[in-house]
Amino acid sequence: MGGDTIGLLLQGVTSITPQSVVMIAVAGVLLYLGIAKDYEPLLLVPIASGCILANLPLSPLIAEDGMLRVLYDMGIRNELFPLLIFIGIGALTDFGPLLENPKMVLLGAAGQFGIFLTLLLALAIGFTRPEAASIGIIGAIDGPTSIYVSGILAPHLLGPITVAAYSYMSLVPIIMPPIMRALTTEKERKIRMPYSQRKISRRTRILFPIVVTIVVGTLVPFATPLIGMLMLGNLMKESGVVERLTKASSNEIANTVTLFLGLAIGSTMVGTEFLKLSTLAILVLGIVAFGVDTAAGVLFAKLMNVLSGGRVNPLIGAAGISAFPMAARVVQRVAQEDDFENFLLMHAMGANAAGQIASVVAGGVLLALMGAGGH
Amino acid sequence: MSELQWGLTMTAAGMGLVFGLLALLWGLLTLVLRFDREPPEAPPAEAATAPAADAAAPAPTEGIAPELVAAITVATLAHVAAGRRVAAPLMRSYWPGSQLFASRWVAIGRGRQNTTWRGGDR
Repeated sequence: MGGDTIGLLLQGVTSITPQSVVMIAVAGVLLYLGIAKDYEPLLLVPIASGCILANLPLSPLIAEDGMLRVLYDMGIRNELFPLLIFIGIGALTDFGPLLENPKMVLLGAAGQFGIFLTLLLALAIGFTRPEAASIGIIGAIDGPTSIYVSGILAPHLLGPITVAAYSYMSLVPIIMPPIMRALTTEKERKIRMPYSQRKISRRTRILFPIVVTIVVGTLVPFATPLIGMLMLGNLMKESGVVERLTKASSNEIANTVTLFLGLAIGSTMVGTEFLKLSTLAILVLGIVAFGVDTAAGVLFAKLMNVLSGGRVNPLIGAAGISAFPMAARVVQRVAQEDDFENFLLMHAMGANAAGQIASVVAGGVLLALMGAGGH
Repeated sequence: MSELQWGLTMTAAGMGLVFGLLALLWGLLTLVLRFDREPPEAPPAEAATAPAADAAAPAPTEGIAPELVAAITVATLAHVAAGRRVAAPLMRSYWPGSQLFASRWVAIGRGRQNTTWRGGDR
């Protein structure tokens, strides 16, 4: 056996780099968060697995025809996977609470402020314009939107942006409450908002996704893929005539695509690309975006409270961020800390559903302003 | 400085557009909801064209408390289900081959011993 043969046999061991070891350790942390802490396991486990597989020495999976590369090319490079996931999200989302109280849609708009403040901060740090816009979109607090926009504007930042978006989304119950408490008084948190369920007819529920698609798609064509798929899923759900398609979209298709998406994103986390100071900056800016979104939502709700003569609990503004439906549940929990019998959940769900639409609109607006995403 | 100016312009234009679009959506939703009324339960014209016997007959639940109607409904459905179980060996209520509500004799496969066309097995 010659020295060359031994060299070939030990090729794997000799190709280990410090960066790949660090990335495998990072993947270990993500696996810990997903498995032991139950933080977004559906995404973090495939992402971490993709990361490990991509960082193994000489990994054939990220070679030209490797499986992970193929997944990336077929679903991330052309934006297919996030859009397929949006169909499932639409099929799972009940926009009823928003339809019962349409003015909540403004809270969804306020919840997008973090996108632009983060963009400003990223520019100040030295990121380029497309990079800054991609980092800002973490503030949409909507994983598929972040992937879609950053995949178009700055594909080389896709890994850290996705990891930041999903990791912080799972930390919403930890990030939001201190900000909500800091910006509201006990008196404000105790404001009760009477809820009288208004019956929304089937016709209106069906009209809603059609109207939203046509209006948003006409005014912001860049948002058409996102809003179109979201509303397609919702139309199928509300029409009630394609139950099999609705179930497939929200279960089989969404689950399969989530696995592929996670693996493909994980494969972009190769040590030499990921371990940079810019990644750390993105992670910090991401948490800033989450905080600013929450603060802007609460402050806007405070304004609504003043204008309505004290009838709006400012806490529901925090649900204007996307993160559906976790943000609404956090609002309810914080409200109950001061007044156990305060029932804000349905109002918060309305704001949260608005945030879902607003994040998609904001993504489209950002692409339009950047002049990207068209044909 | 130019980057900051660009960023501020993006912020103003972006948030303005997001708020503008969603405010428009709010208006449209309010408009749609204004026309959102439940269809009338039973138009008088249809009642007039219905068969005379049906039109004249009072509603079977008239004068009975809703809770009692619910209890009667549950009891009726339970009775129908029990009847199906009893009659299952005689009347096919489910798809061929289903063992649902079959008698114990059929469920454990003893009924197959009575099939004369499987002579080779006997």
